[in-house]
Amino acid sequence: MSLDIFSQYLINCLMLGMIYAMVAVGFTLFFGVLDVIQFAHGDVLMAGGFGALVAYAATQAVGIANSWVQLLLMVVSTTVMTAALGALVARFLVLPLRNAPPLNTLLITLMMGMVLREAVRLVYPNGSNPQPFPSLLPHDAWRVGGLDLRVDSLILLVVGLLLIAGLHLLITRSKLGLAIRAVAQDGETARVMGINFNRIVLLTFGLGSAMGALGGVMRGLYYTEITFDVGLLLGVIGFAAAILGGLGNLYGAILGGFLFAVLQAIGAVALPVLLPDFPSAYKDVFAFTVVIVLIGWKPTGLIAEKTSERV
Amino acid sequence: MALLSVQGIHTAYDRVNVLHDVSLDVEPGKITCILGSNGSGKTTLIRSILGLTPPNQGDIVFEGASLVRLPTHEIIARGIACIPEGRRIFPKMTVEENLRTGAYRLSDSAEITRRAMQVYELFPRLKERRTQLAGTMSGGEQAMVSMGRGLMGKPKMLIIDEPSLGLSPLYVKENFRIIREINGMGITVLLVEQNVRQTLVIAHHGYVLSQGRMAASGTTEELSADAEVQAAYFG
Repeated sequence: MSLDIFSQYLINCLMLGMIYAMVAVGFTLFFGVLDVIQFAHGDVLMAGGFGALVAYAATQAVGIANSWVQLLLMVVSTTVMTAALGALVARFLVLPLRNAPPLNTLLITLMMGMVLREAVRLVYPNGSNPQPFPSLLPHDAWRVGGLDLRVDSLILLVVGLLLIAGLHLLITRSKLGLAIRAVAQDGETARVMGINFNRIVLLTFGLGSAMGALGGVMRGLYYTEITFDVGLLLGVIGFAAAILGGLGNLYGAILGGFLFAVLQAIGAVALPVLLPDFPSAYKDVFAFTVVIVLIGWKPTGLIAEKTSERV
Repeated sequence: MALLSVQGIHTAYDRVNVLHDVSLDVEPGKITCILGSNGSGKTTLIRSILGLTPPNQGDIVFEGASLVRLPTHEIIARGIACIPEGRRIFPKMTVEENLRTGAYRLSDSAEITRRAMQVYELFPRLKERRTQLAGTMSGGEQAMVSMGRGLMGKPKMLIIDEPSLGLSPLYVKENFRIIREINGMGITVLLVEQNVRQTLVIAHHGYVLSQGRMAASGTTEELSADAEVQAAYFG
């Protein structure tokens, strides 16, 4: 394999890993504060992606042509929209079921995801088919030592890393992060410390959802396409990544996200080279099989709860 | 006037009535204790005051305003802090972060640092270990973290629930000394204890709970002298 193609795969793998990590972080935050699985998470992201498309159409309608301004408006509107959607799911679906069996929460969020998915498919014009996502980042490429580095990929990678680092700082350094960790470790004692439990839960759901939606927008910009069911696979992969890393652990989710992308890359590139009969389309089969084996080997995740900091 | 006045509350927990017509007054600046055996309703009484298990009947008045139906964080905002039973420190936070949760309602960071310094003065051991994860500390040290955390909010009233539970006799003695010191700073203390003799020594006023009802009350001298109370509840 030439260095050029290898670098392409490497960048692709990093990009996917980051997007998965950004989705997985949401699952792990939600589980951290409320011990619940929010299965509508993937579809909240999808709705955020379509919201960004609507915002793009709106900028065109009012005659804004600068692609940076368009992008900024898309990012801001999708962040606000998904944060609100995530908080609404928490307020009206998850919190009222706090004393019900966890399976009910899982089921009700699963159904909520279906509602979102079908609603977008039916309401969005021609929603059943893939929608083109505007490619707004510069397409220049830099030639570095025989490699083509595309500026748009680099921008997405850097922004993604900054977002993950920012989330880390928010959780470990800020007062909101202190409250999120307190609620995650002992919700009742957090209340006795004067922390407004419900407010922190809503903020956490908003934060996790917005983070995932930004991952969704990055995915749209990278692949210049979005479908109504993108949240399905993205949700399952993000969930798998969060479990793989150790649900409730922020760094586990990030690790799990990148690990899943590496597995996909191995399935797509390395295995077909070694086994001539292995088509690269089997990359998800391969990646999920390895995840199943890994979870069988370490049922509590790679970074086990006991030795690590939950959220 | 009493700082806290619990007026005839009935509280149900998991649909079983645990407290029946319980009343008590906490005088400002004093140490008031609640005595009683396991399952007598002491913890439910504390949970009622904190709004974690609100009473179905009766009223709880703090500084002249009712606390009933307020969410817990608003009750705390009125100037109440609690050192919960079993210490309940945040195990995956450092000592310093644990202290900061106690001052959560405060936003002045210089004041938070100043209060942390006061806590470190009271518990020099915590200063040495301020970057250690609280969950990796010994029970006695965790008790200090929990006490320090309770003091960080500069409460008007501090509720201390079973502070000597699970501690070695040496720490228990130290605990009682510190509770007295906290009271000496002008903080009103509501102390829940099973350790009757040492509690009666430091407290000013006491109540005895038995099977969810207030069985006796009085100054600690009166309670100590009351042979019937002694025989019935303290063994």
